Amino acid sequence: MRPPRLIFITGKGGTGKSTLAAALATALSRRYRTTLADLDRRQSAARILGAKLDAAAPVRVSETLDVTALSPRAELEAFIQQIVPLKLISRRMLKSRTFGYVTAALPGLEAFLMLERLRALAGQAALDDAYVVIDAPATGTALELLSVARGVKGIAPFGTLNNLAREVESFLGDPNRFGVVLTLTPEELALREAVEAAAALADAGIATVAALVNAVPAALFEVGELAAASGLAEHATMAARRVEAGAGAARARQQLERGGLRVIELPMLFAPSLAAHEVSELARTLEAELIAE
Amino acid sequence: MSKPAHLFGPSHRLVICLGPGGVGKTTLSAALAMRGAIEGRAVDVMTVDPAPRLLDALGLDPREGEPQSVPLDGIAKAPGARLRAMKLDPKATFDALVARYARSAAARDAILANRIYRNLSGALAGVADYMAMEKLLELHDGGANDLIVLDTPPAREALDFLDAPRRLLDLLNSRALALLGASRELLRGLGIVDIAARAVLAAFDRIAGLHLLSDVQGFVRSFDGMFEGFAERAGRAQAILHGPGTLVVVVTTAEADRVAEARTFVESLHAAGMEIDAMVVNRMMPAMPALAQLERAKIPAELKRKLKRNWHDFAALKRRESISLEALRALLPGQAELIVAPDLGHEPRTLRDLAELARSLKTVQEKANRS
Repeated sequence: MRPPRLIFITGKGGTGKSTLAAALATALSRRYRTTLADLDRRQSAARILGAKLDAAAPVRVSETLDVTALSPRAELEAFIQQIVPLKLISRRMLKSRTFGYVTAALPGLEAFLMLERLRALAGQAALDDAYVVIDAPATGTALELLSVARGVKGIAPFGTLNNLAREVESFLGDPNRFGVVLTLTPEELALREAVEAAAALADAGIATVAALVNAVPAALFEVGELAAASGLAEHATMAARRVEAGAGAARARQQLERGGLRVIELPMLFAPSLAAHEVSELARTLEAELIAE
Repeated sequence: MSKPAHLFGPSHRLVICLGPGGVGKTTLSAALAMRGAIEGRAVDVMTVDPAPRLLDALGLDPREGEPQSVPLDGIAKAPGARLRAMKLDPKATFDALVARYARSAAARDAILANRIYRNLSGALAGVADYMAMEKLLELHDGGANDLIVLDTPPAREALDFLDAPRRLLDLLNSRALALLGASRELLRGLGIVDIAARAVLAAFDRIAGLHLLSDVQGFVRSFDGMFEGFAERAGRAQAILHGPGTLVVVVTTAEADRVAEARTFVESLHAAGMEIDAMVVNRMMPAMPALAQLERAKIPAELKRKLKRNWHDFAALKRRESISLEALRALLPGQAELIVAPDLGHEPRTLRDLAELARSLKTVQEKANRS
């Protein structure tokens, strides 16, 4: 099965979310036109791909890969400019500090406009036979963002906003257009967060494409083999850490698969820095597991 | 190259832990509080969104919003040592604040039931920050402690937290909100921008079917007269934070991504006139053992080969970590302490784990000694 047009990557902080977003976009771009959209203010994914984002315009990384930044602020500006077509006024309004507080009085407006934007991106991608990868914020914030449509429907029982909210909800619930990829490391807290996120997404009727268990060290030691190394203090501890990470990955796989999730393991890259070469290595794994028919 | 961390001096009354999400800030806050207790202080620690394991380790009831005593049996023996921990509940704290300053029971109920307030207190990011400040003030004024350790909500920038009271007060008190609630007559004399803002919101409100404006009106009216009380408390919290008795700690990890985040923290603190006193780098790998030790070992050749390979793998990770640690050190002002906390290999599960973490905080070679 083909991945959804728009893939939304989130996970606990420190699980390599941005690196994997960059790798997944790279993998997709080997077959399709792909856009990596950075919703994370740190813009790590863009940096990893060597793109320097400053303006609103997308940056071309390769023939088939564009990187762009999405900001709730820019969506709000576009929205205001629609309503107040007089540029002079709309611009001054957006600059006024008080206006920022006004938007807070309309709960979730910025977030909602962002979801609207994702819906438009996915629609365009379907027309172009292209894909969009979103480097989303960490799990908690990301889930809040995705739940905004439901909230908006609640506070606006009728009217335009309610209709829009319905459309956004049906977009989020359409596995051909929207899907979430969760990232985790073989650690207890990251696993717990991924399991909880998957449950919350299932509740909301949103598809989870896969859970990526990142930083899994290649197996090295046989069962029982380390008993002979017990006299070697730190060397033995280091080996035990490797074994423990492997066991953690197996536990994560088991628990996530029990919840009906597709699980893909990504290797721990034992390199002094994470650069293009490493991203390309991760992209190969993702391409084989997630994209190849 | 390292020695026990210095951290709190006798004049310190408050430790504030700032940092991005996902670095173990809450755990470190608990460990710093434990360290204070081990040194013989009566410590209160307020955590924000602690992991269930940490609650278990501290023996905390997650539903309880008031400080709870942590049994230190045998861990901190000094007389006077005491540790209380609590979990921040922003919504409940805000409700209590409203109850305290509302002019009447009717005004209080009107606010608590208002749709704007409910969205504000549940969702607005700044509310958790502001309420952390409010609890700080309560703990500070309560006076039953020598040291308060304040964990803060995850933030991308230090100022998100420090600025929270001002932002929230500005919001509650803003002309914009008043504007929304204002009648047509009051609109005379306002600038074109304000009128446009109101028009946009009114149009949006109408088109969207939100019908928020009447709620806003009610909200603004019921908050009338409460701002002074709010502002006074926020001002005092700010004074404490900026005072000499406050130790400003930034928590991070030694990863390339975190260096950029840590830089914005240090820079924005500096811009706000606050200097960072210590940076705690969490989850540091242990030092690499000597490879020669493996050469000499009498173990099967195959195992020796694998252990060597494992050593080289981890050495690469350690190099990556050292590069980030150096970059973090370069961010620190002269007097600030660079502290490392070891990776225990798991989240602290018991009080003893937390005490171990507290005891193993080490200062890495002071900056002044570097050539």
